[in-house]
Amino acid sequence: MFRALALSGALCLLSGAPAPAPDTVIRPTKFDYTMTTLPNGLQVVFLEDHSTPIVHLAIWYHVGSKDERPGRTGFAHLFEHLMFKGSKNVRPDQHPSWITSVGGQANAFTDEDATVYWETVPAQYLPLGLWLEADRMASLDVSEAKFKTEREVVKEERRMRYENQPFGRLPEIIFDKAFTTHPYKHQTIGSMEDLEAASIADVRAFHDTYYVPNNATVALVGDFDTKQAKSLVEQYLGKVPKGNPVPRDIPMEPPHKAEARFTVSENWPLPAVVVSYHITRDGHPDAYPLHVLAKILSDGDSSRIYRALVYEKQMALAAFGEAKLIEHPNLFYAVAIVQPGRKPEEVQKELLAQLDRVKTEGVTAEELSRAKRQWARDYILGRETVQQKALHLAHAVVIHNDIKTADGEFDLFQNVTVADVQRVARTYFTPESRMLLTILPRGAAQGGTEPTR
Amino acid sequence: MSRGLSPRLLGAIILTCWFGAAAVSAPQQWPTSSAPKPLPARSVDFPPYQLKTLANGLQTLVVLHHEQPSVSFRLLIRAGAMQEPEAKPGVASFVASLLNQGTTTKDAGQIATLVDSAGGVIAVGSGNELSYISGAVIKDQTDLMLGIASDIVQHPSFAPDEIDRQRRQMLSSLQVSYDDPDYLAGLVFDRLVFGFHPYGRPNEGTPESITKITRDDLVAFHKAWFVPNNSLLAIVGDLTADEAFAAAEKAFGSWAKRDVPVIKPIEPPPPTQRIVVVDRPGSAQTEIRVGHIGVPRTHPDYLPLDLAVRILGGEGANRLFGVLRSERGLTYGASAEFHTYKSSGDIVAETDTRSSATGQSLRLMVEEFWRLQRETVSQSELTGAQEFLAGNFPLTIESPAAIAQQVLAHLFYGLDLSEIETYRDRVVKATPADIQRVAKQFLKPDKLSIVLVGDASVFADQLKENGFGSFERIPLSQLDISSPTLKRSGSPPDGSRENHRQE
Repeated sequence: MFRALALSGALCLLSGAPAPAPDTVIRPTKFDYTMTTLPNGLQVVFLEDHSTPIVHLAIWYHVGSKDERPGRTGFAHLFEHLMFKGSKNVRPDQHPSWITSVGGQANAFTDEDATVYWETVPAQYLPLGLWLEADRMASLDVSEAKFKTEREVVKEERRMRYENQPFGRLPEIIFDKAFTTHPYKHQTIGSMEDLEAASIADVRAFHDTYYVPNNATVALVGDFDTKQAKSLVEQYLGKVPKGNPVPRDIPMEPPHKAEARFTVSENWPLPAVVVSYHITRDGHPDAYPLHVLAKILSDGDSSRIYRALVYEKQMALAAFGEAKLIEHPNLFYAVAIVQPGRKPEEVQKELLAQLDRVKTEGVTAEELSRAKRQWARDYILGRETVQQKALHLAHAVVIHNDIKTADGEFDLFQNVTVADVQRVARTYFTPESRMLLTILPRGAAQGGTEPTR
Repeated sequence: MSRGLSPRLLGAIILTCWFGAAAVSAPQQWPTSSAPKPLPARSVDFPPYQLKTLANGLQTLVVLHHEQPSVSFRLLIRAGAMQEPEAKPGVASFVASLLNQGTTTKDAGQIATLVDSAGGVIAVGSGNELSYISGAVIKDQTDLMLGIASDIVQHPSFAPDEIDRQRRQMLSSLQVSYDDPDYLAGLVFDRLVFGFHPYGRPNEGTPESITKITRDDLVAFHKAWFVPNNSLLAIVGDLTADEAFAAAEKAFGSWAKRDVPVIKPIEPPPPTQRIVVVDRPGSAQTEIRVGHIGVPRTHPDYLPLDLAVRILGGEGANRLFGVLRSERGLTYGASAEFHTYKSSGDIVAETDTRSSATGQSLRLMVEEFWRLQRETVSQSELTGAQEFLAGNFPLTIESPAAIAQQVLAHLFYGLDLSEIETYRDRVVKATPADIQRVAKQFLKPDKLSIVLVGDASVFADQLKENGFGSFERIPLSQLDISSPTLKRSGSPPDGSRENHRQE
């Protein structure tokens, strides 16, 4: 068996030396899309994919929780729920049941920057999907009773996702502490008080302001003929009247001038420690080396944070880091869940050391090459389904405002150098933009919730 | 035209849609008052796949898919909680967790570096009656990844320091899980339904069992079950069938065949009404599970019972979702699931709701069990579930992994592979009478296992008010899944049970 294994083409497996990563990465097929903008401002991307007789229709509204006004946090997401509660020709809840009755699936999601509605249907039902989306874009009609019931549903969603599971509030605490001004300070789910304060008048105003074709992008991917699909889009969504220009008066985060430290307590079984730095936005040239750095620190069992904190020092049950690169500048943050018997401060110190080491020592060529292959893997495996393809296309249009990045990012990533990675670490991992956050199990907190600066 | 969705039937669906829309339309208004007609339907068949059994008995499935330059694989070993020694729950998941933590020739760090450098990903795990190694990679590194999979399935080292490390991880993970209401509700529900049958034992073990498991236990489990004639391999992606079978042969051809033990599991207990409240003070919601024993995957009534459970709480027609969420706003999610394994299965309805709505939500859920048994389902409601399942077929064959998953499931349970192709035909043939027959035969609304995890001080009185006077109240700190009473021995006498029992 030993001999056979050696013959299996993996001699390097037995040598104990790391396998040299292949020098070149296979370039996945480029998207062969077409894009158009209708007279009412609606942007539409078409990508034919005849591999399976299905169609995915995604409609992105460029409005998310960062567009919410103070006192109305959670509204963009609450509104997403209401889009299923009836329009001129569609009864409340009829939209999803109609789609499932033809064997399709429909849902929606909201994040900080956008709200996305989608349907995947057997290919022949493309007109139905377009008609349903056009009807609710043009004529949403939600009753007071439906609004109130659905608000309760969203409050249950908040309880379920955030309040009733260990570490559920972790993102809420991190972003609330790290931001002072930008609406990224609050989570998309919003606060209970603000959800309670929302009214049916807010619903109507929000629809008029943001749910207009000039604030929407459609991505259609699947088994259709583009010419026919274009005429169908014009027939339904093309008839929705253009709205007013969409307001973009979002307060920006001022530069941070000093390191922030916080210790808070939660009803959690184990402590958690966080290190974060303010970074740039998605699409900025530095975004690509930052993504690569996140992979080197945190993707796979060979990554630095896992290797040091979880495997070698056994001080964390789990540890990971992420470069959260979205439309406006956000955070590079790393989290460790502290093993019983270990001190949160020593774990936080180690986490910080892993991030800051990159500034002085940089990363190795092997690490860079590994991260690029991992990135290529994610790129390839993330473009398998019609839904995934639509996500990349629409994201390029809405967030990057440049459809070409849907393909072009592959090369931007493969061109990142070791020097780029060290440079972005030095640029962004500064003491002034740093936050050190410790979350202790309730009863163990020292020093309350006041920041110590 | 696809098999299973006849042109006549399709016509009926279209009409339904047209009438549905016409009923609420306002002519001359935006944008058109009725839903558009579908385009001509495309034909759709299950994509081709190939099967071959290697000389050592490893059944190998190949699904070709050339859209992206990637290859993924899944190796199933027929060994899970079912095959564990009775007093050692968690052995299977312990073994799985150690597979990629070192072999006789490579340590954990070397395996991780190889996988990550190849641009690969590998996952290991176990369930009620299987363990798995699955992975994906950019296609030029297929041989390397299959070589690693072959090495870790055959030659895990079970090094003592790795055992210690995993044990610590598993115990800390359990500490977190025991504070997670969703986990706790499932844990107690499985235990109520399956008793001390292996399906009732937690796959991830208990703090007590994980502490006790020895290296010998792990080695013995691996030696007994991890053989090619007890395994299934699927390779899917951008390669030819010849390349895929050659790669399988190269990686796994020398894996030695060996007979596996025969096991005789105990029978699960008969269903009995039992309500357990796991008291977790301060909870924002109550996690609720309601259900009972079901049938094995190979049961002849699998299909109509699956439809019945979907009407109760599945896609296409979900009564629980309608009653609890859409009409009353009591929850974010409400569903019913039909779990089927090799020798048994269960039916479980689940939701989570604010503490103050616990009694009402539970009553509504139990009422839906009764209603499904009492009333014949309407044709339109059944059609909703049928059309979803039949119409959804093209969506289930989009990715090669999804195709492989369906074939693997049939192979794993020993089902006839032709059932994949005939599925749509069989689904649309079920009648309301079929649904009522299986609802009467298999649903047991008077013998439900009910678990509530939440702040009992808020909802104990509601349970009584809603007709659930008899329940066991167990403080979370006293919960012991391996005890018949579900409470730690030496814990204070259970006064609460007496207090709440209706005399």
